[in-house]
Amino acid sequence: MPSAKLGLVRAGRNSAIDRSFTLQTFIAHPIPWPDNAAALRAKVRELIAGHPAPADPAYRANSWCVPDPTFSRKLGAAGLIGMIWPKAYGGHERSSLERYVVLEELLAAGAPVGAHWMADRQHGGMLLRYGTEEERQRWIPGMARGEIYSCIGLSEPNAGSDLASVRTTARRRGDRWVIDGQKVWTTGAHFAHVMIALVRSEEGSERGVGLSQFVIPMDAPGVTIKPIIDLTGGHDFNEVFFDSVELPETALVGEEGQGWRQATAELSLERSGPERYLSSTSLLLELIRHVGPNASAEVCSLIGRLTADLWTLRMMSASVAARLAAGQDPALEATIVKDLGNSFEQAMPTLVQAAIDLDMADPAPIARILNHLLQVSPSFSLRGGTSEILKGIIARGLGLR
Amino acid sequence: MSEQQKMLSDMVDSLFAELGSSAAVIDAWDRIEELGLPSLLVAEVQGGFGGSWDDARVVFRLAGYHALSLPVVEAVIANLIASPHGAEGRGTIASASEGRFADGHFTGVVKGAVASEGASFIVAPSLDGGALVLRTADGLRQARETLSGEARDVWMFDGAPAKHSKVDLFRLGAFARVAQISGALDGALSLSVDYVNERKQFGRPLAKFQAVQQNLATFAGEAAAANCAAVGAAQGLGRGAGGFEVASAKLRANRAAGTGAAIAHQVHGAIGFTNEYCLHRLTRKLWTWRSEFGGDSFWSAYLGKQVLERGADLFWADLTARTD
Ligand SMILES: Cc1cc2nc3c(=O)[nH]c(=O)nc-3n(C[C@H](O)[C@H](O)[C@H](O)COP(=O)(O)OP(=O)(O)OC[C@H]3O[C@@H](n4cnc5c(N)ncnc54)[C@H](O)[C@@H]3O)c2cc1C
Repeated sequence: MPSAKLGLVRAGRNSAIDRSFTLQTFIAHPIPWPDNAAALRAKVRELIAGHPAPADPAYRANSWCVPDPTFSRKLGAAGLIGMIWPKAYGGHERSSLERYVVLEELLAAGAPVGAHWMADRQHGGMLLRYGTEEERQRWIPGMARGEIYSCIGLSEPNAGSDLASVRTTARRRGDRWVIDGQKVWTTGAHFAHVMIALVRSEEGSERGVGLSQFVIPMDAPGVTIKPIIDLTGGHDFNEVFFDSVELPETALVGEEGQGWRQATAELSLERSGPERYLSSTSLLLELIRHVGPNASAEVCSLIGRLTADLWTLRMMSASVAARLAAGQDPALEATIVKDLGNSFEQAMPTLVQAAIDLDMADPAPIARILNHLLQVSPSFSLRGGTSEILKGIIARGLGLR
Repeated sequence: MSEQQKMLSDMVDSLFAELGSSAAVIDAWDRIEELGLPSLLVAEVQGGFGGSWDDARVVFRLAGYHALSLPVVEAVIANLIASPHGAEGRGTIASASEGRFADGHFTGVVKGAVASEGASFIVAPSLDGGALVLRTADGLRQARETLSGEARDVWMFDGAPAKHSKVDLFRLGAFARVAQISGALDGALSLSVDYVNERKQFGRPLAKFQAVQQNLATFAGEAAAANCAAVGAAQGLGRGAGGFEVASAKLRANRAAGTGAAIAHQVHGAIGFTNEYCLHRLTRKLWTWRSEFGGDSFWSAYLGKQVLERGADLFWADLTARTD
């Protein structure tokens, strides 16, 4: 019954659900798990079993931020870094789903993969795609061996979520580039050999125009690294200052002025991996161990719910990986997985804390891991793009902005 | 999606869109029969379509998306279980049974029979984890409805001939509800997106307000999770018993249904609370499906127990072995 009063109902009358064109935000891609997945898993598990466990069980949590160069070298020697890179650069020409299997094994076991993580995840691939031959030869083979580490130079004091306002500059001087300015929150700058930085190469340019990417060796004269101690007392991130840092022309990555496009493409790789939902897995495993088979109904049901979430996220994350492997760009799906994954890994510590009684100073693994995650999990929805920014991207994908 | 599945999907999409949430069995069931949909999962050698679990997911999802009023989903599952036992006519499923089955006869009560008025047979979960196939002619129907007007009848049987099947109907029912939830969430999301782009307040479309955008982004994530859970459950059933996968999927989809329905109503304001506007056709179904074939407490206890019995050291190995 149409009525003037409910004029807006008409929008719903001949509405979306009565049309035979159905909206589907997330296309779940069938996942062609590699035939050798089980063998690869066995190989990774053996390698982890043969490596000494961290002194503090807390370091099994959020383990892709825990650097251990010895372990990285072992992985490199086993052919498990740079798996999809060409052999000519020290890579192994495996499929990206084989790589995905290795990554999820490492993360689920809480292995210390922080040293080489950025190089393997994004910088090796980025240099292969955009870098000059000199720079590729210089960095990539070492990255594949697990010996060369890299860091991400995006954020600046006045460019956080609003990344397009970066102010660090690159200016031409003869056949050199000169970098001046500052990056901040740079994870691993203190042990990395190289940074890929997004800087303003065109004077007077604004926003996404006039930006370029550069490869900056961390030992170049004029680079100063100052630690920033995080709230746990740990040292993961840093301030990095550039004072007339001279670079050869070959240090320009890709095209001059195309930095924004290149860097945002890098973000979709940075955002889509299994590390975006597995950071708290060691807590779930430790909870299962701690409560044992006769757990209370409440804890049993919490474990059920966390398991269901984890299973679903694994499907979603692998589906994104499968689409990337098929040469598609599932940017929206990747953003959804990161946002959901971060919420899951961030919520887990408080849920577990609510379900069991613990002495917070107990040196037992469950208490150490829980404590550590309670403190570091606020960063899960900040690093790599905050949840608000991710939701903004999803909203754009929905046609709301 | 394969070419064949795409054809199935297009065909079903336009039919369900046309029939929608008000078509009655008595008028429209022929349309469903014409397409052979009820025998979607029946093997080709038995004269069925021989569809896969993923084909079923696609059809069930569309039934959810269009808030279809006809018991197609239920007929598909009922036929899968009952056709080897020679059942004929329109079948439907129920969500519980209580009573005694011995020597091919059942005495007891069947509950939650979906749209069973006029059906020829009912498949109900049996206490041993399988299913019983019962003829409606042998029982007595007591009509029952959910508050949202969906027929969920109770049937009494006294020494009625019954066929037993080993197929876990409860699990399949849960799978069906997951797929329907995934579709209904996408339907409600689609309505919500259209609505906030149209409705203006403070001089601009609601879609331009960041709080509204963030809510709908959350909703999209939940809808995505439900859809992926449905895909995973179908794969689990295709590979084996699928108990773990269906349990996980139902639990995840139940949560998505709660969050999604709440946001859909929030962004619609009062109009979404009216009988005339179509949102409730989806959300009231979502609220029903959340409880049917296992609510959160049932499936979380089921999963938690299974995980705890296997222990921490096998958790990840078990999870990955299910897909490798
Ligand atoms: C552990 C950790 C490691 C990191 N590692 C690196 C690294 O290696 N390299 C690097 O370059 N950066 C790194 N970062 C920086 C990270 O990318 C930024 O923290 C992030 O982009 C947010 O920027 P910000 O901290 O300046 O917060 P701000 O942008 O100031 O945001 C503060 C709050 O305001 C919200 N907000 C901002 N803008 C909007 C908007 N338009 N609408 C709604 N809400 C908004 C944000 O969501 C957030 O909640 C790291 C951060 C952390 C926590």
